[in-house]
Amino acid sequence: MTAFEIGVAILFPWIFALAIYLVNRHWFSVLLTVLNFFVLTAIGLHLWFSLHGALMFQPPHFVDWLILVYDYGLLLYFLKQGLDRKNPLVSVLALIQLLLLTWVVLIKPPSEVPNLYVDRLTVFMYLIVGFVGSMITVFATRYMLEEDPKREGEFVALLVWFLGVMNFIVSVNNIEWFFALFETTTLASYLLIRFRGDKISVNNALLALWMNQIGGITILLALLFAIHKYGITHFTQFSDHASLALFPLAFLGAAALVKGAQMPFHRWLLGAMVAPTPVSAILHSATMVKVAPYLILRLSPYIHGTLLAKLLIVFTGFVFVVTALLALNETHFKRILAYSTISLLALMMLAGAVGTPLAVTVSLMLIAFHAVAKALLFLEAGVLEKVYHAKTIYDIKHIINKAPFTVFFILVGFLSMTMVPFAMFVAKWLLISEMSELLSRASYTITVAILAIGGAILTVLYLKILGLTINRDEESFRVKLERLPLLFAAPNTLYVILILLATLFVNPLLVKLFGPVTGAVIGEVPPFCGQGLDVCIGNLKLPFWEILIAFFFVVFFPVIANYIHFKVDRTAEYTCGEPLRVRISTYNMVCLGKASPYFETIALALFLLVLIVGGGML
Amino acid sequence: MKAILLLVALLSPILGGIVYGIERKLKARMQNRMGPPLLQPFYDFFKLADKRALQIHSFHSLMGIAFFVAAWFAVFALLVGPNILVAVFLHVLALLFFTAGGFSVKSPYSVMGALRELAHILAAEPILVFAVIALYLTTGSWDIEGILSSGKVPLFEMPLLFAALVLTIPIVLKRSPFDISEAHQEIIGGAEIEYSGIFYEAVYTAKWLEYIFIGTLIFLFGGSNYLIGFLLVALTFLLVWLIDNSTTRLTVHHMMKFAWGVLLPLAAFNVFWIAIWR
Repeated sequence: MTAFEIGVAILFPWIFALAIYLVNRHWFSVLLTVLNFFVLTAIGLHLWFSLHGALMFQPPHFVDWLILVYDYGLLLYFLKQGLDRKNPLVSVLALIQLLLLTWVVLIKPPSEVPNLYVDRLTVFMYLIVGFVGSMITVFATRYMLEEDPKREGEFVALLVWFLGVMNFIVSVNNIEWFFALFETTTLASYLLIRFRGDKISVNNALLALWMNQIGGITILLALLFAIHKYGITHFTQFSDHASLALFPLAFLGAAALVKGAQMPFHRWLLGAMVAPTPVSAILHSATMVKVAPYLILRLSPYIHGTLLAKLLIVFTGFVFVVTALLALNETHFKRILAYSTISLLALMMLAGAVGTPLAVTVSLMLIAFHAVAKALLFLEAGVLEKVYHAKTIYDIKHIINKAPFTVFFILVGFLSMTMVPFAMFVAKWLLISEMSELLSRASYTITVAILAIGGAILTVLYLKILGLTINRDEESFRVKLERLPLLFAAPNTLYVILILLATLFVNPLLVKLFGPVTGAVIGEVPPFCGQGLDVCIGNLKLPFWEILIAFFFVVFFPVIANYIHFKVDRTAEYTCGEPLRVRISTYNMVCLGKASPYFETIALALFLLVLIVGGGML
Repeated sequence: MKAILLLVALLSPILGGIVYGIERKLKARMQNRMGPPLLQPFYDFFKLADKRALQIHSFHSLMGIAFFVAAWFAVFALLVGPNILVAVFLHVLALLFFTAGGFSVKSPYSVMGALRELAHILAAEPILVFAVIALYLTTGSWDIEGILSSGKVPLFEMPLLFAALVLTIPIVLKRSPFDISEAHQEIIGGAEIEYSGIFYEAVYTAKWLEYIFIGTLIFLFGGSNYLIGFLLVALTFLLVWLIDNSTTRLTVHHMMKFAWGVLLPLAAFNVFWIAIWR
């Protein structure tokens, strides 16, 4: 029975996508994306409550052949794209993968291990894809009306299909299948990034294509080594070998780093913003980059405490701080979001690599709430672009005067990533505390410094942008809530409600949702001791009254501040008595932009260190 | 002990006002002046309440009030709450309202002050976090009662970090040489310039609360030896006022370089050294 539901979770988006593509009518796309949202969310919830332990599932044998054939087709397509576009890098990398894949097929031992593996972590990802991801596709239907109504079907179909691919990739156990789907996400992002078809879109799409293919190569190398030394072809087989060489784990980890757009490979994610905004939303929140922390979490039990884990921590810690710094230098709203995604992905992987129960819980919390916050912010970026024609942070100056609703949503989105009492703050706080605990046992010393510094930078970054939006002319007597199209407003509203509810009910979520998933990942659960809504884990306590009062400050106060009016005389701003026309601007920290090449060089060195030293080749 | 802490938390605006009074008196003596009476801050307080209220717009005024309330709440969480690390982040939350107020008006001084305030946060927050981590490392406790009854004196293990914390205080309290976000001669008080009368009262009092917040952190480095704690607080504030009186203002660049180039490595080295030494 459960096998049927997993089939639905994986295959329905593929079928829906095909239908949307073929019909290509606005009402039909809306209908199907909404239906898709309900189906995926319902299936996710149903599986969550009905699943006990993990489920191994062997699809019919012909699927294996199908995927192999598909794989060759995919790589040949990449090769052709490289040749057509005269991009030797793309074609050479595709060629290398073709050779490696053939080698894998030649030496692959016959294996009876089931190819699908569904546990709580998988269902957790289904829930994120189902809830967060499919709302973006609903938004995209409306977005495309403004952009290019004729190609709406094609675009929305691609997005919906991407959700199906994502659901598939988190369910596979066979590493060869994982490779095929890994490259399918690459294909999906390639098609989406070059969707607008202009020169810059195509160039950036090719950039994403070759960079992500490096990840494919490292997966194949890892697989080859694993087959050759241990006869391992499936993820679950890693646990059968007590002492495992770090080589395959390091190369799988490297694939995660590439997919997660970590520093030397960060340009593809920055380039991805030339695509229509829902693409960025879906790449940053529910799909694509989330493969990276997912993969690290899958490897986490095997790399826990090894040199590889420590090098991963150093590397991701470096990227976490440095990309946050670079974000301060950016003026383009979407680029800022992209840098902050890279930064937070690094943090998720850092927590995953630490691999203690609490750190894994933190990693999961960050995956979930970052998905919601980034989906919200990118959809808001889409609204800003289409409704207010604003792209840079200078365009959104004073926007509170005409769009208080939008500003409030952006405020919730940004503050939820950094400020007390939001769930992501709780995650960061737990991580700092956990690292302090480990520090007192003299391990992972440097991480507390990374967390303290990186957290402060991100806080300042978000406050800097918010500062520009709330600059207003005068009393807001007639705050008119702007009226947005329903399909623009509804997904965002849902995300905001989700963020706010998760903030208040963070303890039940920790105990009921993140705890069990942590148990599935590493077989151990943090020592929860909270009653009701008070957070309590070991000696860490965050009582509900603190959450509630801080919640009042951050969420309610900015809203009611628009409606309270003091009956006192008004005065003009002090400008030394001169009738100055003031134009408000902000820092853009040019000096940091200049440091970017140095940061990239160091990141590349660290990445090689992860591969060579972490992989046990030295 | 809980009752005393609660009392301090509730009376913190008044205690902060007294500290401010002492500061003005002492600074005046350092400059060979008589100085105002000890309770002058409170006289000012009542005078401000009496003045005609003027405002730019209500959103701005409300942000000032929110700054005061949130700062008080941060002090409350520090003294009564179960986790002092959360209190440090609540302190940032209070500053969020202060900067939001600064950003919300069309005044160049106010916006510039708010931007500089962000630099203050960037410079000071990591060190405050480090201070709390150091307290946990030495006493094994996240709550204030645990630290005060731990039987240890964190200062003895964390002298370098403590020095870094002391030198961060001018950044947090906006005292010379790091009174950059206020800079009276330059940006005329920065983010607080547009408040007046009863609304300025809120911002004015919120700044008193900062004394209590930072003073408590300093006091905790005495651990369960309260005498050392009181001495530390007294000497630290004396030193900060002395520095305030004898230095001129530096720029944001100097502040960032000093905070991240000197203070942070100092703090980090001390924490890491203790962690691996044991």
